[in-house]
Amino acid sequence: MDMFFAAVLCYSIGILTLFAPHQRQIMAHYVANLAAVMGSGLVFFNAWSILASDIPVRAVKWGSYVLTCDGWSAAFLMLTGLAGIIASIYALGYAESYEGKRLRMLNGLWNLFICSMVLVLLAGDALSFLLFWEIMAVASFLLVNHEAEKRTTWNAAYQYLVMTSIGTAAIMIAFFLTATHSASFTFAAMANNTLEGGWLHAVFAAAFIGFALKAGFVPLHVWLPNAHPAAPSHVSALMSGVMLKIALYGFGRFMFDFLPEWNYWWAVIVMVIGLLSAFLGVLYAQMEVDIKRVLAYSSVENMGIIFAAFGCGMLLKVVTDSNWCQIGFLAALLHAFNHSIMKVLMFMSAGSIMHGTGSKNLELFGGLANKMPYTAIFTFIGAMGLAALPLTNGFVGEWMVLQSFITLGHNGLTQDVRLWTALAFVLMGLTGALALGCFVRYFGITFLGAARSKLVERAHESDTFMLAAMGMSSALVLICGIFPGYVIYLLCNALHMSDYMVLGVGGRLIWSGSGTFVTYNPILVAVVLGIIGVVVLYFVVGQKICIPKDVTWNCGTYPTARQQYSATGFSKPVRRAFDYLLKPKRERTYTQNDHSYFGRKLFYKLEIPDMITEKLYQPFNKYFVSASAFLRRLQQGSVRLYVSYVMVAMVIVLIWGAMYK
Amino acid sequence: MEYLVVALMFVVFLQTRIMDLRRGVYCLGVQSALIAAACLVIGMSHGGGLHAFLPGVLTILVKVIFIPYAILKVVRNLQDESEIVSDINVNYSTAVAACALALSYMVFDSLLPHFEGRDILASSLFMIMTGLILIVMRSRAIMQMIGLITLENGIYLFGLVMTEGLPVIIELGVFLDVLIAVVILVILTSRLRVSFKTTDTNELNKLKG
Repeated sequence: MDMFFAAVLCYSIGILTLFAPHQRQIMAHYVANLAAVMGSGLVFFNAWSILASDIPVRAVKWGSYVLTCDGWSAAFLMLTGLAGIIASIYALGYAESYEGKRLRMLNGLWNLFICSMVLVLLAGDALSFLLFWEIMAVASFLLVNHEAEKRTTWNAAYQYLVMTSIGTAAIMIAFFLTATHSASFTFAAMANNTLEGGWLHAVFAAAFIGFALKAGFVPLHVWLPNAHPAAPSHVSALMSGVMLKIALYGFGRFMFDFLPEWNYWWAVIVMVIGLLSAFLGVLYAQMEVDIKRVLAYSSVENMGIIFAAFGCGMLLKVVTDSNWCQIGFLAALLHAFNHSIMKVLMFMSAGSIMHGTGSKNLELFGGLANKMPYTAIFTFIGAMGLAALPLTNGFVGEWMVLQSFITLGHNGLTQDVRLWTALAFVLMGLTGALALGCFVRYFGITFLGAARSKLVERAHESDTFMLAAMGMSSALVLICGIFPGYVIYLLCNALHMSDYMVLGVGGRLIWSGSGTFVTYNPILVAVVLGIIGVVVLYFVVGQKICIPKDVTWNCGTYPTARQQYSATGFSKPVRRAFDYLLKPKRERTYTQNDHSYFGRKLFYKLEIPDMITEKLYQPFNKYFVSASAFLRRLQQGSVRLYVSYVMVAMVIVLIWGAMYK
Repeated sequence: MEYLVVALMFVVFLQTRIMDLRRGVYCLGVQSALIAAACLVIGMSHGGGLHAFLPGVLTILVKVIFIPYAILKVVRNLQDESEIVSDINVNYSTAVAACALALSYMVFDSLLPHFEGRDILASSLFMIMTGLILIVMRSRAIMQMIGLITLENGIYLFGLVMTEGLPVIIELGVFLDVLIAVVILVILTSRLRVSFKTTDTNELNKLKG
């Protein structure tokens, strides 16, 4: 525990740089971010040593407040520490561009944000959990609102604040209901609660809604694709990479400790909503042209996958009551860990692209690989990870998720469980395919082809810190993809499960829960892919030493950059296929029409309204406003009216008092 | 005592029918004088001394002399609108006041059966309600002030009957409160006249954002 306090001390130093004098802001910037790196390093190292050694941690008590750490929170602390180190190194370079734009504020809040996340994970009682949870929410709100000059930014920030407050309210209800049925507010006491009957369902519903809102589940995800693009990139990296995972932590805390007797329908709800979020998230990700919104929707997708795996584990536990259920939780935890590394990497690369070009519109990029070669390589690795291609850690996570669904199908002996499994495979399949398409589009449109605007010509590669951070995380993506054994070993410790069920000799992953032994050997895959690559290279390049370079034949005209696939055009087939879900609004007008075949100028506008916003939130909003308009008639500023309320109240009280004295 | 109560009820009913500001203020003075008389009667029935006379004398000084004088001074400045044009017919306010009187008797018969000061209690509640009715149903600021003083008189009478004399310090506090409230209201009414050229409180709705 002492080392965690040392980490909090480091963050406090970082927070105190807020008060550095204006002339010294660059120095304060370095101090703050180095403090964040140090603190995160301590958190990471300490969490790692807890997981590796499996020694129970001594809780620290202060009055009725408890700070403690068990396996489940150590796993998330490790993830927070790792992502914190990487993102803070990136911030050393990236945040410097905010010089003169409230830089000290940004760095101070940055430290506060990481510190509050660490403390949420350490909290051992309901009150301190809620306190740090709210500090986290407020710090992230202020960070999202950092570029408050822009109208869209503060719109997004306030939307985030409203949504996150609703989530906190739901979590408070869940904690309150649990704590009133137990001896005290500490987690240890709440684990021995006496909840029963309908209260169990109430606690589950409140906790699920609260944490699902933070995790960005459809239909509670609306704040997420707005808040992430508005925040500075390293902030969105950490919000997406870590803060969303803390929702999983909280939900797992409720499920494992406070509500150990699971209901069949709870598991189904968690799983199905997770799957639907995954599918809808990636579908909208495919449609976006703002790079950070693409990544934000991809976070919705991945949180969906993580919760689907978690729900699958719950369902396995409910249906079979065997140890096989651990695969679901392990898959959720592993994918959470992997996704946090990948998403931090991708948001950092998006930040570098924005830094280099000054835009985040996909349609304006193209051919950036020539200008930003390192960023291109790192983005490629991250995109591979998010598309769950082999050799990356994304694949390991999704392999595990799919294995847990296969295990569910194999062990769930009733028809309905098999039906849920079938649904899971359909949606996971669609999700995987769409994710692949989405990131092929993301990478291809940004880095390949010819430049689509002048912005690309002015683009420049990022500085050393940013490249170092991206390099570190892409190395981790590959290392955790090719040698996943150690991470899985640590996470098995976190879940108190024996790793012999998953790990084989020599880094192979072995799983026997699905009837037969299945194995995934990333090293073998790497070797085979390497050989195939060499062979292909030999045949393609080796035989044609002289590569003739020429202009592509284009019906006699010279090809221009505008003839390439645009980002919108690339996703057209998907938009067609899922027309009934997306309901795109097209607007096409000819502004100049000299000839019926050429020389036409076309104005094309495409809008993909978020159906959830349009069908759920806007009617609700409308209803709310009209209800308020009615209430406004009651309170309209007329003193006489107010006095008559007093009078009516008095008469009612008198009559009531006289009747029931 | 019964005659006082009857006279009081008559004056309060009259209050609901008066449209003219000046006559309204005179009526208020008479009402306060009756309260002062009731105060003195109750004080004497509990034995003499300074404590018996002080509230009555204070009532005469503050409510019978000072407040009507202050309000009349404002009314004098409002040359052209001494006539009230209320948006609600006066008959309605009288009818509602009659209902309030019936309600007061019903409430006290049910709450305190066989109480000897039944009529005084009922008339005090009746005054409170009538004060509120005047505030709600009249739109001129002066009339609302009259309503407020009526309400205040009702509360005072109620306290007098129920407690048979409050400690002097509280009596003084209550009178000071009323005094300050009236001073502030007079100032506000003058400002209202200057700003809006009228003392119609409906105009205040324009201040709404």
